[in-house]
Amino acid sequence: MLFLQLLINGVALGSAYALVALGFVLILNATSAVNFAQGDLVMVGGFVAIAAAALLPVPGIVLLPVVMIVMAVFGLVFSMLAYFPLKSRPPVSVFISTIALGIVFQNGANAIFGPEPQVAPPLLTGGYLQYGELIISRQSLSIIIVAALLIAAQHLLFAKTQFGRRLRATAQNRRMAQAVGIPVNWMIAATFGMAASLAGAAGLLLANQFFVSPTEGTDLIIKAYIAVTIGGWGSILGAVVGAMLIAMFEVIFSAFISYPVATAILYGTLLAILFFRPQGLFGETIQKRA
Amino acid sequence: MAEVSRHVGVAGRWRGPVGWFGVGIRLPLAVMAIVVLAMALSGNSYNLRILTFAGIYALLVIGYQFIFGHAGALSLAQGTFFGVGAYVTGILGSQLDWPFLATFPLSIVLPAALAVVIAAPILRLESHYFALATLGIGQVVLLLAINWEGVTGGANGIPGVPGLRILSWDIPKGWPLLIFVWMLVAVGAGLAWQITRGLYGRAFEVMRENAFAAMSVGIDIGALRFVALILSALYAGAAGALYVHTIRVISPEALEFPIMVACLTMAVVGGRARIAGAIIGAIILIHLPEWFRFLDEYYLIAYGVVALVMIVVAPYGLVGALERLRQRLWPEPAPAAPSALAPPPRQRAGSDDGGVLLAVRDLNKAFGGIVAADNLDFEIQRGEIVGLIGPNGSGKTTLVNLITGIYRAEKGQILLGGVPISGLAAHEIARRGVARTFQNINLVDDMTALDNVAVACGQRDGIGVRRALTTFGRDESLEHARGAAMHFLGAVGAADDALKTCGELPYGIKRRVEIARALALDPDLLILDEPAAGLNEDEQAELAQRLQRLAGDGLTLFVIEHNMPFLMPLAERMICLDYGRVIAVGTPDEVSNHPGVIEAYLGPPEDD
Repeated sequence: MLFLQLLINGVALGSAYALVALGFVLILNATSAVNFAQGDLVMVGGFVAIAAAALLPVPGIVLLPVVMIVMAVFGLVFSMLAYFPLKSRPPVSVFISTIALGIVFQNGANAIFGPEPQVAPPLLTGGYLQYGELIISRQSLSIIIVAALLIAAQHLLFAKTQFGRRLRATAQNRRMAQAVGIPVNWMIAATFGMAASLAGAAGLLLANQFFVSPTEGTDLIIKAYIAVTIGGWGSILGAVVGAMLIAMFEVIFSAFISYPVATAILYGTLLAILFFRPQGLFGETIQKRA
Repeated sequence: MAEVSRHVGVAGRWRGPVGWFGVGIRLPLAVMAIVVLAMALSGNSYNLRILTFAGIYALLVIGYQFIFGHAGALSLAQGTFFGVGAYVTGILGSQLDWPFLATFPLSIVLPAALAVVIAAPILRLESHYFALATLGIGQVVLLLAINWEGVTGGANGIPGVPGLRILSWDIPKGWPLLIFVWMLVAVGAGLAWQITRGLYGRAFEVMRENAFAAMSVGIDIGALRFVALILSALYAGAAGALYVHTIRVISPEALEFPIMVACLTMAVVGGRARIAGAIIGAIILIHLPEWFRFLDEYYLIAYGVVALVMIVVAPYGLVGALERLRQRLWPEPAPAAPSALAPPPRQRAGSDDGGVLLAVRDLNKAFGGIVAADNLDFEIQRGEIVGLIGPNGSGKTTLVNLITGIYRAEKGQILLGGVPISGLAAHEIARRGVARTFQNINLVDDMTALDNVAVACGQRDGIGVRRALTTFGRDESLEHARGAAMHFLGAVGAADDALKTCGELPYGIKRRVEIARALALDPDLLILDEPAAGLNEDEQAELAQRLQRLAGDGLTLFVIEHNMPFLMPLAERMICLDYGRVIAVGTPDEVSNHPGVIEAYLGPPEDD
């Protein structure tokens, strides 16, 4: 029973991580650059949700589209600042520019909202469902459902629509996409918008149970980064699986040992994976040409 | 880059004290130094404290430049090394009353020891994984510092760290501490300059800009990255120790991400591989909160904005931008090319008396389902010119990459002079006398043709930290290497372009520079991957003549080429590959008339 309980908590946390990792991979594939501010975008999304909730007191599920739209615009602006001026430079430049913007976000949020953790409204209502000994928080269930829907929507968009095919073409081979007339820069900008939008959703989902504070982005980006590394650099499915694995790991180890030890073991495992399989657990999707 | 100023510094004649300031960007640097000194002299004790911190950060950033600037690896562990150094001094100084002369060396050595421990798993990682791994290590150390309360004082840390005291001599805050810190900065800067000014620094540049070029001239990339990581940790440890002596309390703040961010920003703002850049970056960013007082405790916003703006508008930092500006507005006279000097031949282990030089035995390699080398088995005699042909995708370049150690074979053996070389690292194979050129040219575009070749020359004499540190005044090994480089550039007819950067050279000359670089290794076997591609007929004829002359001098040549009119008269023997298999071996006439070869190129004959 305890195990089932942990499983549900783990899947809920993993769903939110998956949204973070998904945004990270979308940008990675489209630009081959690491967006180090992905975690900070989640944090911004959380605060956007809190600010929006202060203006209109409605359940989180109603705020979700608002947050996602605001964050999509935010993502476009983000790409104008951190990516497009540097798009012909080595990827490490973008890495640094996103670190820089992340710092701005963190301290900006700190200045506006203060350093204390804050809470966003639950998606539907708070409270618990009880089945015998099994206690499930409604929020956990809603997180799982909402995240699953968002991931499915992203998948359908990429797999079934012309827009999605253009995005994928851009990610796979930018020059070729350009040659067949796809407006590559718009596609990349749209990818940033989508990634930020997913981050915003994750921010809203996480900000009820886990609160949101200005510095949480660093922790989240490491998680997303690890998820993507485990899942195979560049693999979308792998990122989701990796996020689930990390969350289960964290929930189970924290329950039986302690959170710091769980985190330390997680990083230790990561280093071990990198040592034995420098190309990730499931291999690299993006291959470097010799 | 700053190539020009460096040349003039060596070759230029003494121009008097005023002229001295005219070299490179010495004048603006001097002006900045005066401004800073004036600030310090204004007597404000707060200014002195800020400048002390600037010195501490300058030391941290000079160290960071080894791994981030010279080795080109985005390490996010520099703040961790700093924090470890700080904790060592903090704990030993406050809890055990150890003196500075004991804690300071330990604060330097222990972060380096940590670097040695983490080096094995992380150094072979590619850029983004390297950044992630260093970040993860930093988080583990931070968690340890927060949770190991008995030793570290937990989240609150330990107060009461002693001030600086050397033997019985106190160094109080204010001017004495400021001067002491900046003296250490001067020592650190001097050592860093000494280590990177010569061929060793060039080797880092080649390794950072083009890994394939580095391996092909025998540079051990792993060794260089290892040294860079250790050096960065040593500097960070020293900076951490000074930091904790200055703030007099040790807490997890010393390990937290803002210090890493500050360090990275300073390197980006000042310039990644310039010592002056580290110092300028540190001074500017330490003062930034002063200039953005309205941001209050959120001054890190300004860090972020400044870093972002700088990386967009000045990718080489302030110092790089100044150097470029100077070169545009007041170009310095081009230095004279060094005179050519033929180097002595390399010591050879094997014998020179003919026989088999390269033997490929039963070699196999597949990429996924595609077999690129299928039981390859052939020999090359000493002094031969062997041509390798085959349709596109037949596995020619894969074979070259297998011989030179870029790829590893799944099965089979490669012997050089009877000694197995398959399984050796690429740089080791290059050192044993296998030189190559690349189908897609691999030169360092920002470096002069001269230095591209000089690095290969220098590689033969051995380079390293100790050698760099014991070279005083004129750097003779650099001068010898450049003289030798001129010799080889002359041998391929590229001497006139020696002082141009490779990026501005036309295609044909780049190919020659690559051949000169390969020759500079004084190889036994020279592998040329499509040397005639992109050359016009005159250039091709000239190249063929040169190659013949080299073969006449006893060099063994293995030439991959599509261009049959070029290859037929040149090669003594030809090998034809198709689908990773040898389908024909023999004289050029035999091979070009071989039905299998004709079929491979033209498709199966049609029935009449």
